[in-house]
Amino acid sequence: MNDGALWTGFRWENRFRPLMKEHWINPLLYVEYENINGADKTMIEVVGFDHEADHAPRNAVLSREHAHEIETKLILSSDAQGWNISENFIAEKNLGHQPWEFGYALAASRPLGLSATAGSCNFCRENIVAGIEMYGGLGSTDSATLSGTSHYLAPILAWHLPNGVTLRVSPSWGLTDTSHRFLLRAGLTYEISGWGQKVRSWFR
Amino acid sequence: MKRLAVPLVLLLAAAVFAAADAAHEKKSSDDRGVMSAIAQAPLKTRDRQNPYEGRLDSIAAGKKLYLEHCAHCHAPDARGRGQAVNLRLPGVQNATAGELVWFLGNGNLRRGMPSWSGLPVQRRWQIVSYLKSLR
Repeated sequence: MNDGALWTGFRWENRFRPLMKEHWINPLLYVEYENINGADKTMIEVVGFDHEADHAPRNAVLSREHAHEIETKLILSSDAQGWNISENFIAEKNLGHQPWEFGYALAASRPLGLSATAGSCNFCRENIVAGIEMYGGLGSTDSATLSGTSHYLAPILAWHLPNGVTLRVSPSWGLTDTSHRFLLRAGLTYEISGWGQKVRSWFR
Repeated sequence: MKRLAVPLVLLLAAAVFAAADAAHEKKSSDDRGVMSAIAQAPLKTRDRQNPYEGRLDSIAAGKKLYLEHCAHCHAPDARGRGQAVNLRLPGVQNATAGELVWFLGNGNLRRGMPSWSGLPVQRRWQIVSYLKSLR
């Protein structure tokens, strides 16, 4: 169904690292504020009882719903033998008197090449990261149950380009009746090196 | 609660920016903090040998990684700038390869040096190879 494209709102993301030193498991606290409308169908994560039918109505209908949400995550990350293993515990609250909703994401990934090659290259193994992720909902404070929740299994492929651009592709397969049967998540990111220094230089 | 959400988020963001700026304003010329941080490397890591030591291809790969991950703070010539330390100083150059690779993995967040534990240890050794070649 061609339902057009529209502006659905914004997200403000913050990450806090409570421990200054490196440990076997490194915790990270993630806090996000979302000011979005119901037509936002981006499935960055799954919480509560999110299910396939949530996405069925047309954008024109869904865009009338507004959501102000706080999302928090405890991200536990470990690096060993080139592997990155992370466990995310997610708690999301719609500020409009909705219960807390919970979710999780578990992932393991590794670059295809652990050492770097001497020359500049785009297609070499060191620039490609492969892994697998499982994510889903864990109910809410009103009903802490796995029954009726959605879960997904997803291979991950990321391609880092030397200029700071990263392309991520992750086909996901739904594992429960309430899940989408298949999802294709894709993202393009650009990391601005020394962003803080650049902002500071504008005000000098 | 709804009315409070946006001001709360903005206040939180302002506090984070202020803290980051205050950390940056610490004078960069004080390299002793980094030296003492390197010196905290556990004994068992100090004597670890660089598996890539003396390999020219590793130095070249380390230079590539340095320019990609380190140069925007420590400058392309590794002489440091702002808060970031001059990596050609004796305090860095006299550190063992094991100490340096440990330091890269742990960082010194209080002084703005991030942990590079997400970078495979093989690549950290290659960066150390390059740093040692600057002597």
